[in-house]
Amino acid sequence: MRLLIVEDENELAADILLYLRQEKYICDRALNSRDALSRIEMHEYDCVLLDLNLPDGSGLAILQELKHKNRNDGVIIISANHSLTDRINGLKLGADDYLVKPFHHSELAARIEAIIRRKMHAGHTVISWNEISIDTQSSEVSIHEKPVELTGKEYQLLLFLLANPKKVITRAALINHLWNESIDSEDNFDFIYTHIKNLRKKLQQSGCKDYIKTVYGIGYKLVDK
Amino acid sequence: MKLQSHYNKASVIGAICVLFIATIGYYFLLNNVLTDQVDDALAVEEAEVYDYIKKHDSLPDESVYEDQQLFFVKKTGPSFREFNSLKIYNPEEKETESHRQLVFTLTVHNEQYVATIRKSTESGQDLLWLILFSTLPMVLLLMIIVYFIKRYLERKLWRPFYVTLSSIKKFNLSAPQNITTQPTNITEFKELNESILSMTDKVRKDYQSLRRFTDNASHEIQTPLAVIHSKLDILIQQPELKEDSMELIEHIYSSVEKLSGITQKLLLLTKIEQQQFSNKEAVSISSIVNEKITEMQDWIKSAQLNVVIHGTDGQIQMDKDLATILVSNLLRNAVQHSSPGTDIIIETSAEHLEVTNAGIESLDSSRVFDRFFKGDDSSGHGLGLSIVAQICEQYGFHYDYEFRKDKHIFTVWFL
Repeated sequence: MRLLIVEDENELAADILLYLRQEKYICDRALNSRDALSRIEMHEYDCVLLDLNLPDGSGLAILQELKHKNRNDGVIIISANHSLTDRINGLKLGADDYLVKPFHHSELAARIEAIIRRKMHAGHTVISWNEISIDTQSSEVSIHEKPVELTGKEYQLLLFLLANPKKVITRAALINHLWNESIDSEDNFDFIYTHIKNLRKKLQQSGCKDYIKTVYGIGYKLVDK
Repeated sequence: MKLQSHYNKASVIGAICVLFIATIGYYFLLNNVLTDQVDDALAVEEAEVYDYIKKHDSLPDESVYEDQQLFFVKKTGPSFREFNSLKIYNPEEKETESHRQLVFTLTVHNEQYVATIRKSTESGQDLLWLILFSTLPMVLLLMIIVYFIKRYLERKLWRPFYVTLSSIKKFNLSAPQNITTQPTNITEFKELNESILSMTDKVRKDYQSLRRFTDNASHEIQTPLAVIHSKLDILIQQPELKEDSMELIEHIYSSVEKLSGITQKLLLLTKIEQQQFSNKEAVSISSIVNEKITEMQDWIKSAQLNVVIHGTDGQIQMDKDLATILVSNLLRNAVQHSSPGTDIIIETSAEHLEVTNAGIESLDSSRVFDRFFKGDDSSGHGLGLSIVAQICEQYGFHYDYEFRKDKHIFTVWFL
């Protein structure tokens, strides 16, 4: 799968590239909108990460160009601007998602995955990881082809972990993902333990190996045993 | 006390003093003139007496009329001539009357006499009082007329000043309306208006550049923060990291997120101030409360809090995003600052929203809504409640904090 990262901040672009390349993605990058426009001429992308503040204009122009050409590339706006109106404008213009800087790479990966699933794999929405498989259309989880009952939060948690396999995921990232903006990660995150513990228990009871490893002091990691 | 009243007070006191002194002076002046006239008349009588002696070589007959008397007394001594005033009791009218007399010595047939010519000045005195008493009401009337003319003129003349003043009172730095003034040809007011306009213009420019600075600074801070954050995301993937390093990284993470939260909230405050949230729609506060409480359920459970929601539902006309921020900040504040096992009571109605949580001692109620104000135990950044205040001010809602019976009570009235 092919991604385009349009981001003028070199360091940030390089890190995103590094994080995503380790997964199943081929990544291109563009540092300005001219570069980005010529790249979307050449390739169709599964997902375009679009910074709005580019040195030669707004990223929204690229979005408009994509929509103008009736392209089906997924678009995630990544912007330093937390404004709700910007978010709404971006989504109105046809962006699929909006992410505010700074963000967790794990969050970005999960969002990309969700968009690609939605856009590209219509009808084929099953994610598999060893004996775990998830049908994202019906939100059903099964272990060794036997269904497991999970709560909404547990399901989201599992999906998030599967979007970032073999990566250390911070508790703050998990909380941001599961509870959106209603809880600041600075507030308190003891309650994430409960959900992880319950998820582990349910998976193990269904005969699943314990793939969720606790990384002490910071968070969790989905490991391949 | 108004400036005009000060003026009026001073001018009335001044006028009364002047009137009083002037009356006394006027009295003495008129009195002098009258006395001089009488003295002249007495001198004429004296000349007649001398004429008579010259012609007849004897004293004239003594005469005693009511208003003029002439009599002689035989007496030796040095010769003299003098005018004097005296009061004589009149038994018929039962009152003392003032008189003026000329007393002088004269010699007839080697006999020395003292002659006295006396005139009543009672009619002159009456005239004097008549003049004084008729002048007084005239002066008083004049004063009253002058007072009213002055008052009318002052009202009219000071109008530009009051127009400017009421405009200054309504002045709001973040609102686009400027000060309105009334054109005037009074130099002082013209200068005042010009100075105020140029001052507000400068203040507004400074304020805008400050606001732009806050805005730009917040934006510019966000990018390096994103880079730090991103580097940390990469760093924690290193397999050789030890546990204590992870803990350090966790702290860096949370500080980065805190900093980014502060800049985002400052940006939000600026946006509310700039009235960038202008949508108005019917918003149900109680459904937002329910929605938020559901979202925060896990947090509330882990903090071992008991949430009680009661009251009625009502629609409020405001921006939905702002309503959500308002509710969520109040609820988060309550959850964040409650100790385990206590209650959070939320009361809603069409007119108000009240969030109550348990506490030990009162917060500084004059500062609790200030930016960056934090309670002693607070881990927040002290912007949540100032955002609540800013939103309320935007819509003219009244907001309040109260500490009663070991409870912090935050109330917003949507009126």
